[in-house]
Amino acid sequence: MRVGLVASEAVRSLRASMSTTVAATLTVLIGMFVLGLTIALGTWVLSWSDHVKKQLLVKVYFTSTATPKQEASVGNFIRTDDRVVKYTFVSSERALVVMRKKFPDLVRNLSYNPLPDSFEVIPKKAEYNAQIKREILHSGPKGTVPPGIEKVKDGGETSRRVLRVGSIVELVFLIGVIVLLIASTLLIANTIRLSIFARRREIEVMKLVGATNWFVRGPFMLEGLICGLLGSITAVFLLLVGKEVLLPAILGHIQDSKDVHALAFELQALSIIGAGLLLGAAGSGLTLHRFLRV
Amino acid sequence: MTGALQGRTLPTVQDVDLKTETTPLVDGRPLSLPQESLAGAMVVLDGVTKIYEPDVVALRDVSFVIEKGEFVFVVGASGSGKSTIIRLLIKELEPTRGRIIVGGRDLGRLKRSKVPMLRRNVACVFQDFKLLPNRTAYENVAYALKVQGEHRDSIRKKAPEVLTLVGLGSKMNSYPEELSGGEQQRVSIARAVVNHPPLLVCDEPTGNLDPDTSVGIMQLLYRINRSGTTILMVTHDREMVDKMRKRVIALDEGKLSRDERRGGYE
Repeated sequence: MRVGLVASEAVRSLRASMSTTVAATLTVLIGMFVLGLTIALGTWVLSWSDHVKKQLLVKVYFTSTATPKQEASVGNFIRTDDRVVKYTFVSSERALVVMRKKFPDLVRNLSYNPLPDSFEVIPKKAEYNAQIKREILHSGPKGTVPPGIEKVKDGGETSRRVLRVGSIVELVFLIGVIVLLIASTLLIANTIRLSIFARRREIEVMKLVGATNWFVRGPFMLEGLICGLLGSITAVFLLLVGKEVLLPAILGHIQDSKDVHALAFELQALSIIGAGLLLGAAGSGLTLHRFLRV
Repeated sequence: MTGALQGRTLPTVQDVDLKTETTPLVDGRPLSLPQESLAGAMVVLDGVTKIYEPDVVALRDVSFVIEKGEFVFVVGASGSGKSTIIRLLIKELEPTRGRIIVGGRDLGRLKRSKVPMLRRNVACVFQDFKLLPNRTAYENVAYALKVQGEHRDSIRKKAPEVLTLVGLGSKMNSYPEELSGGEQQRVSIARAVVNHPPLLVCDEPTGNLDPDTSVGIMQLLYRINRSGTTILMVTHDREMVDKMRKRVIALDEGKLSRDERRGGYE
């Protein structure tokens, strides 16, 4: 089989059915673009949830009337817990200093320090937070709330809500990608089918003069691959533009940690191009199998 | 012409077991035809029946042998199974029963992957020429050579040569629509014989042509046959068959009704 001849036949065929070729390529482009977004978003959400989990603390807030003895008693209870990695006492003065650093505008006009003393407890796993919180709240005499404690927060509800939203977004994107992938495959298949129909005379002559199976099928296979490749490369280009131009603007506002990131762009680009080629091959293969038996 | 058409031949019937007198073997399987008729055979049809689904019988138990270098007409009314024989010979169809042997090869045992090789050795010419309309006469011939993996230099040499031989040396760059019916059929013949096939099958090659042009085409086919190519020609052209006095195989409703050495149309 002469590769050059097969390639020139494929290009000739692509030109002949330009409108369907463009339609198929555009669908691949959209599908691959959304796939790229999904990969980026999905891996970013995973990375972010790990980050959030690492940050989850159990915070024990004391009332303004709590005595040092009451606070020390709670501290002793926390110290005996095996699931705790580290705990820190944050005095109301220290809390105000931190607050002043983070939100200077908020604390500028305060006439007194409203922040309570507290303990920040870091557990071995974020999953222990709820248990630790519950046990602290029942560590008083006869299982009551120990005196001096105003409230205990485990940060779980907020993180769970955010993660839930993240997985819904991921699911929606995933469904979108599947639908678009199917649409792209079918459109490529249809493009190849039209191409086979437009060139049926040529195919008949090819068979007649003894062209091999692959010589007849080669150009159509290549046509599908070209559609897949063009669509996916354009999608990678658009994603790159988005990454370089739009993403910094968005992430500048919502992200303040360096350890939250999506999958490396090079890997993403490779998976998208790979998926595009696979789509092209699947689309062509589907049609050739059904409509072009030599 | 002779020089251009000398060339490759299909494998001979070397697989025939000559020791067995009554049941010759091809590819290790017995044939019902007499053994002596197979020496030098180009085409063997052995008890071939073809039934199109659901129950249209195109051929009924047809057997004949065509020797190398023969010129054979296949005649019969429309629907008598003539064209089915051609489609069976290029393995476009499979027989329902019976065996077909071309150049010593049992087509029933030929793998699908070998069919292109068979078609390079069994060239076809059709009533409707089957030329590519968007390619010139030269390109049509060159296309067949390209498809078969011929080298560019060889194509540049062979294509003009064969077109000159069929009398179209001055019209190589004409598109099919710029050529007359006879000229288009000459291009089609040039394409078929450019690689010197040992067997040429023609399905009513003069069916669309006027009598004078038909004579020209028949003369061309006769010359090709004289150069050693076996020709099997399906036709309705009574005058031509009567004039040429070649072997005639007649079909009637799928049955072989006559096989004459120097026969006429009826």
